[in-house]
Amino acid sequence: MVETKKHVKFLQRHLLLLPPKAQSQDPNKLGIVYYAIAGLALLDESALSAYTKNKDWIYKHYKEFDPPSNSKRIAGFIGSQLLSLDGQVTINLSNTLFALIILNIIDDCDGRSKNINYEHIRNFVSQCQVPNGQFVSSLDSFTGLPSRVDSTDLRYCYIAVAILYFTGCRTRANFDKHIHVESLLAFVKSQECMNGGYGEYLEAHAGYTSCALSLLKLLGCEAELTESFRWHTITWLLDRQVSNTGCMSLQEDNQNYEQDDHGGFQGRENKFADTCYVFWCLNSLKILSPDNWKSLCEINIAKEFLMDKTQDKLLGGFSKTDVDDPDIYHTYLGLASLGLLDGSLNGELCIPTKYQPR
Amino acid sequence: MMSEFDVSLYSDIEPLPIETGLDNELCQIMYTDEYKQVIGIARRLISNGEFSERALDLTSCVIDLSPAFYTIWNYRFNIVTALMAVSGDIEAFLNKELDWLDEVTLNNPKNYQIWSYRQALLEVHPNASLKRELPVLEMMIDEDTKNYHVWSYRKWCVQKFNDFTNEFQFADSLIEKDIYNNSAWTHRMFVLKNLTSNKNEDNWNEQLKKETIDFEIEYAKQKITLCPQNVSSWNYLRGILDKYFDEDYTINGIDEFAIQYIDNIFEKNESELTETNSTNLPQLKSSYALQFVADGYSRIPDKKNMAIKAYKSLSIKYDPIRRGLWNHMISKLSA
Repeated sequence: MVETKKHVKFLQRHLLLLPPKAQSQDPNKLGIVYYAIAGLALLDESALSAYTKNKDWIYKHYKEFDPPSNSKRIAGFIGSQLLSLDGQVTINLSNTLFALIILNIIDDCDGRSKNINYEHIRNFVSQCQVPNGQFVSSLDSFTGLPSRVDSTDLRYCYIAVAILYFTGCRTRANFDKHIHVESLLAFVKSQECMNGGYGEYLEAHAGYTSCALSLLKLLGCEAELTESFRWHTITWLLDRQVSNTGCMSLQEDNQNYEQDDHGGFQGRENKFADTCYVFWCLNSLKILSPDNWKSLCEINIAKEFLMDKTQDKLLGGFSKTDVDDPDIYHTYLGLASLGLLDGSLNGELCIPTKYQPR
Repeated sequence: MMSEFDVSLYSDIEPLPIETGLDNELCQIMYTDEYKQVIGIARRLISNGEFSERALDLTSCVIDLSPAFYTIWNYRFNIVTALMAVSGDIEAFLNKELDWLDEVTLNNPKNYQIWSYRQALLEVHPNASLKRELPVLEMMIDEDTKNYHVWSYRKWCVQKFNDFTNEFQFADSLIEKDIYNNSAWTHRMFVLKNLTSNKNEDNWNEQLKKETIDFEIEYAKQKITLCPQNVSSWNYLRGILDKYFDEDYTINGIDEFAIQYIDNIFEKNESELTETNSTNLPQLKSSYALQFVADGYSRIPDKKNMAIKAYKSLSIKYDPIRRGLWNHMISKLSA
């Protein structure tokens, strides 16, 4: 049973006053708001109305700039007032996506708010693309050029594409107006791993795999996958479901194997099962096999893993594994996994379907 | 930790505090006094565009408090490039910066901002070397043997310096420690793929390439013998066969090697391969061996029936959680 009331309270608590240890999350505070608001939207619609008034506070994170290096005006969101610095380009891709999702849920604006300029946001995304097709998540705050110290990987590629989707891009031609899709696709392809899945330098990772497949889906480019790689990836993903039956129990000497993880998903080979990978794996499987992903894997056992092992029945929330304390990130991804299974969540945008952009 | 915060250095700076107590604010953080003070000064220095020694010291304090603060990393890099230009000795200046970063790295193993910052430093360093990077990488991997960012950075480094000399041995030492370490196995594959790629044609003639690949197959087999139910070593073997042998899982009698782990499953008739009879089937040491043979045989027309039997046994006994997959394979072969 899903402890709905307790989860609602858990999420609401995270929107109140936070203790000093949350300082380390200050730069990406809108992430906490996103997980909590989107989680509430999945659990209890009626709990949301209390937060419509907070939209003006969200809009306070919206910033526009005329960077010296670019003739086009750019715009996006900062993660918290920590980054509100006049004249400094401090917006980043992650917080821009978080804000767009939050606003789609709490601001009844049909996805089109008069307070923000989608064209300028798309210019920002365009500015974050670097020559090899990848994206940085932030710009040099002084020049507005792509930051030289930022990592570039599939996460930011995904976020860039998702932002363009939220701000109206639906066709390949649309996307091409703002980013170089071909070089992005070439980069995504370079991250394909030999046994299926995506990752850096041949180590496949379920999180990167979900990012890659979600962005291909949003771009309408799933057909770019070869049949062989598609099938390798399906097999690789199914293989991430941890089991204690058959020969799988013969791993007593594996330090990262736990019989109790049965039914959960791991992010990589020979790792413990983890709540968030249930989402990353199922979302990937759904994209690759929309018609029979639910019969290919054992979704009921995956659900049991979430309900019985990582759901905190006392405090509410979900934890990473059965030995951790619940946290906001794993709580949302636990709920998102359940939402994916019952059809109430759009996996490639990771937003409740009711609030997905039209 | 590493940077003592000395407020007297900044007595001329009027802090720029974070605006709080806004209407309808969510997730308000109870900032500590230290955080408010350090961040207030840092925000002012960034706004002023001050690139100085004291600004460098301050970013170090901010990074201690908030390692995910991307603007500070970017600011620090700007300070470093400004100061190194006037330092008179760019190399010494950047080495000092790398020393500082080593310490931050060891204290924040999970922070991924560190690695891209490190890459940026190496890109501007006039005399960067792999040797300088190896000790901190070894310490980090020692502490967390599957840390994805550390492994990625190591691979970025060996590729940048095109120096793969230590890498087989390094992967081997980690596999020796934990045969299930998938990062070590995929590192080995990364090394093999790079060494045998066309880029390395000068040093790698066909004979050496063949010997290396043969050696790696033997290596995988030997590790499988030690621990047959290990997905990483089987995936390594499959990777080699997929890449170099066009997915042929029967070359050099390698199917015979796998078959020794699956008893005489192929001799069972169909009525024996049922769920109700599954308790009478033998105990096997490796479902991966069975899957390997099944996948290999499914591509050979006259061995399809054996493949079906193998998938069937996986489904009913040896790896039942994936029966959806096995049944799908069976119906594909039966079609």
